[in-house]
Amino acid sequence: MMATGDWLDLRGWVEGLVGWSMDNVHDALPSKDLDLTVTISPPKGIWPEDILLGREVNLQDGFADMQPALEGLFSATMICTVVFTTMMLTMLPIPYIERKFIGRLMDRLGATTTLRSLWIGESGVTAGEWWNQLPFGMGAPIGWLNKTLNSIWGNDHELEAVSRVNNRGYHGYWFLLPGFFQAFADFTKFAGKEHIVPKDADRPVYEVAPVIIISTTVLVFAFVPFGPHFYVSSPELSVVFMMAIFGVAPLGVFFAGWSSNNKYTLIGGMRSAAQLTAYEIPLLITVLGVCVISGSFNVIEIVDFQAEESNVWNLFMLPLGAALFLITMIAEVERIPFDMPEAEAELVEGWWTEYGGMRWGLMFAAEYQRCYAACLLFALFFLGGWEAPFQGTMESLPLVGGGLEFLLALIPGIVWVLIKAWALFAVFVWIRASLHRVRTDQILEFGWQWLLPLSIVNLAIAMFLRVWVWDGSWGIVAPVVMILTGVLGLVILVVDEDKEALESMRRPYSTYAVTKAYPGRHPDTKLEDLQRQYKSYSAVKAASSVSLSDTEAGT
Amino acid sequence: MAEMWISMGPQHPMTHGLWTLKVKVDGETVVDTEPDLGYIHRGVEKICEARDFTQITTYCDRLCYASANTWSHSYIYAVEDLLEVEVPERAEYIRLIAVELQRIASHLMWLGAYGPDIGNLSVMVWCLREREMMMDLLQELGGSRMHYNFPRVGGVKRDLPHGFAQRARAKVSLFLDRIQEYEALFDESTIFLIRTQGVGYSKAEEMVNHGVSGPNLRAGGVNYDVRTAHPYSVYSELDWEPPVERPSIKGADCYDRYRIRVEEMRVSALMVLEALDKIPRGADTYHEPGDPAILAKAPSRAPEGTSGAHHFEDSRGESMFYLAGGGEGRGKMPYRASIRSPMFITIPYASKCMIGYKVADIPAIMGSFDPCIGETDR
Amino acid sequence: MGKVVSASNQKSAAESMASALSSMEGVDAEVSERKSGTSPRNIVSVDCSSENWRILAECMRVEHDVDYCSMITGIHWPEGSPDKNWEVIYHFMRMGVTDPPVIDGMVQPIIKDPTTLEGKEVPLEIEVRIAIPETRDPKVASVQDIWVGADWNEKETWDLVGIDFEGHVGMRRVLQPHETPVGFHPLQKQHKLRYHDFEEMYDDAQGFLRKPSDAGKIK
Repeated sequence: MMATGDWLDLRGWVEGLVGWSMDNVHDALPSKDLDLTVTISPPKGIWPEDILLGREVNLQDGFADMQPALEGLFSATMICTVVFTTMMLTMLPIPYIERKFIGRLMDRLGATTTLRSLWIGESGVTAGEWWNQLPFGMGAPIGWLNKTLNSIWGNDHELEAVSRVNNRGYHGYWFLLPGFFQAFADFTKFAGKEHIVPKDADRPVYEVAPVIIISTTVLVFAFVPFGPHFYVSSPELSVVFMMAIFGVAPLGVFFAGWSSNNKYTLIGGMRSAAQLTAYEIPLLITVLGVCVISGSFNVIEIVDFQAEESNVWNLFMLPLGAALFLITMIAEVERIPFDMPEAEAELVEGWWTEYGGMRWGLMFAAEYQRCYAACLLFALFFLGGWEAPFQGTMESLPLVGGGLEFLLALIPGIVWVLIKAWALFAVFVWIRASLHRVRTDQILEFGWQWLLPLSIVNLAIAMFLRVWVWDGSWGIVAPVVMILTGVLGLVILVVDEDKEALESMRRPYSTYAVTKAYPGRHPDTKLEDLQRQYKSYSAVKAASSVSLSDTEAGT
Repeated sequence: MAEMWISMGPQHPMTHGLWTLKVKVDGETVVDTEPDLGYIHRGVEKICEARDFTQITTYCDRLCYASANTWSHSYIYAVEDLLEVEVPERAEYIRLIAVELQRIASHLMWLGAYGPDIGNLSVMVWCLREREMMMDLLQELGGSRMHYNFPRVGGVKRDLPHGFAQRARAKVSLFLDRIQEYEALFDESTIFLIRTQGVGYSKAEEMVNHGVSGPNLRAGGVNYDVRTAHPYSVYSELDWEPPVERPSIKGADCYDRYRIRVEEMRVSALMVLEALDKIPRGADTYHEPGDPAILAKAPSRAPEGTSGAHHFEDSRGESMFYLAGGGEGRGKMPYRASIRSPMFITIPYASKCMIGYKVADIPAIMGSFDPCIGETDR
Repeated sequence: MGKVVSASNQKSAAESMASALSSMEGVDAEVSERKSGTSPRNIVSVDCSSENWRILAECMRVEHDVDYCSMITGIHWPEGSPDKNWEVIYHFMRMGVTDPPVIDGMVQPIIKDPTTLEGKEVPLEIEVRIAIPETRDPKVASVQDIWVGADWNEKETWDLVGIDFEGHVGMRRVLQPHETPVGFHPLQKQHKLRYHDFEEMYDDAQGFLRKPSDAGKIK
């Protein structure tokens, strides 16, 4: 089953450890039979024969009978614990990425300043030159790098106005990642809050709803492999089971919304149930496409297919599927642009308004866990899982291939999976910071009218690829054609060739915009240009019968 | 699902102030609305009957806290009408600069709140950042960041500080560039367009009959502006025109009301730059507070029987003060001060606009009318 | 230069409207010049009796295109002359706003050059004063059906001042709480502005905790 492997063989180690310890116990037990029989000789008048109680016991054999079950239990427990802990620990960067990345996007700092701001403050507020504290002068190159970057791309604007509002006070630990322990602080706070149940809420349903949501979310991680040997269980139909449990959460959401005795949560719960149901189906069909192209319903086999057999990441073979998976997953985890059910603009917090304390904390964590699961699944289904980028190519290079293969084998697969998942989560955050919220009926319309047909098209493409193109390998042409088709589709959708026609199509009634904005156009506008444009705008208005082309000609 | 009344507010993160909007919904569609105001009714009109004319300026700032300068100037012009005071021209220019800077700041606050209403969280931080620049300028002029107490009866409190013109030009020019970023974030986003176009139609004549004016009215396709129709201050000396929006066939929708305010920010910014160039005696001369170039001597009593009223173009519409002279202190205090708040009249109209749309459109529509409850409740 | 309505056009429009209105019974209109910074404004200032108010309102709306009700102010003059114990002051504006036309499927915004407006198109401010003699329940005809903008203004005037509007549908408290006692209208002059008593500063309504030396003090 596992063609790719790496040295982080968690299952093997745990099973080996448990087996070794059980064997030792087995050997330590006495191997002789123990005579635990007792013979009672009642008086002959009452009972004619002797009564034999007890029996002979061989501890070692008895233990040997139990050993497989015990081994299974212990190793399963240990693996579950380790995987769950890993999952929780590797989930900690997720809220960190969200907070920090959104903060930088909102501050419009730019890439260099953003990166530096992770450890250095701005506008004179810094953590001090912490690198000088490192022993043996190890920090000197860091200091040099810092000064060089500061002199080339300094973060002080020449206008003191801008510097003044750029000010991000730096509060954090001197080493590496300020703000990292915010997640712990958050959870401590949630744990300490009171559990309030609304007076007329339907109590059993109210209590059961968070249980459903949280437990199904955690259960998904039982089937998510972090590495080739780093998973809890991997049955043949693991994808099916994962998607099934992922889809139970809408039920919990609906329970939560209905049982809180609150009109807002009711509306939120209904919206959520409608939205999640609407996006489950394209999601499932897309995943089906991936399974078809990989030939298996098992996640590990899907990753192995990408790594070993096809040597191409599914992203390049099914770009449409990847895009669909991304969009439907964003809708499933209820992030902007699809977060209408919990939109604070109308519904305060939506279906989880009435929950407080740890229940809310855990549901909040469950939302991020679902996000994390979505990112991990994308990494596993489309991004090659635990394979390094260009791993096959690098290993087959003529001279350096052997060396690279050795280096790559040093890095356990889990590292690649995590890097891909976190990078994808950064994309989620980027989308969240830039886009607006879509209205519920528009979300549903989009899901049923656009995503569902597209996912079926994707499935057809996947079937075609697997049945007619797959020949033990893809051939050089297939991924290239797919990528080019995907890029072409993106170009057609995104680039507005005929801006004016597009304008009039999407808005037959246009505005007197003086300077139409498009990204990258600022910041060289001069005041005289603006004033000149304004004068021509007045002239244009005085004619009092302006068509679109006239407005555009004035700019 | 049967029809039910939902109460949005008074505790609600997105109603832009403290009021209740009771909405009758049938499923997801709004069938009826009923606004409920008065939660922050502070009795300003009654208080003004026991305050000097100079003391009332402080209260007027606090009417609409997001747009303080426009309200105190609205009051000051009414007092000058009542007391028949002639204001020096330099003071009028300084007032114009303050009012237009405040208008920019108010519209930025609106945009920064409207983005999160629609779902875009980043733009709040961006707009508040530009607002910081405007507030810095207003702080230099008026002394504090929000409630400046800037105009005086007969002029202004103090002159433009040293170096103000240079800083103002730099910041306003930077702001003009930054507007384009906001436009990119909103106009280029299909999601924003589908959320705001076709939502919340309002027609111009209907709006006028309902008492709506200002940017909400100009979004309907008419170029009525109090500054040009009932001229006051030195607006006639600057080269500007009120921006007008071309609405859709059914009326002005939320997108039009959004666009008009972006254009108004531009117009106000250009007006500030021009005023700094045209101000008499130059923007770099400084007069001490109380100098007759910036403050004329004004009587402090209004005899009984006199009255003063002034219509003013506030950030949200046409605001007005009516003062009846002859109150306490033998006329030092107004007998009656009556305040016209554009939002008090627009909020019921906006509530009517929501009928027929979805619940999810409520923040879009309400936000696009730019409510400010401070002035509504007075 | 910025285009604003010319003062002379406004003055002549105001004069023509004032003379037209004065010809009505019970109405006395004149043009009054107000100061506003650098340019004078001419407004139409009308005194009307409360019986003729409704007819005047309809005439203004229909014949003079007064389309915008700005504010309604109610004033209580307990020490005024016996026929001016209450006063209602209406402020209207003639904006001249019509719906922009639709040409070829696109709306053409109406951009008027203010300097060229004259006659009936000139925007005007109109102030109508109605004096009500001494009475316990002052009332005036409601104009809610003529200008919808008067609707909430009338509610506010009744709520705060106590002047009732006959024919107003849906009169209720708008700025004060709904449970305000009947007959309580704070802007009437018998309600004095209250400063907090010294006792209330102690957050102690009955005054159990106040210092003996502060007894009876008002701020």
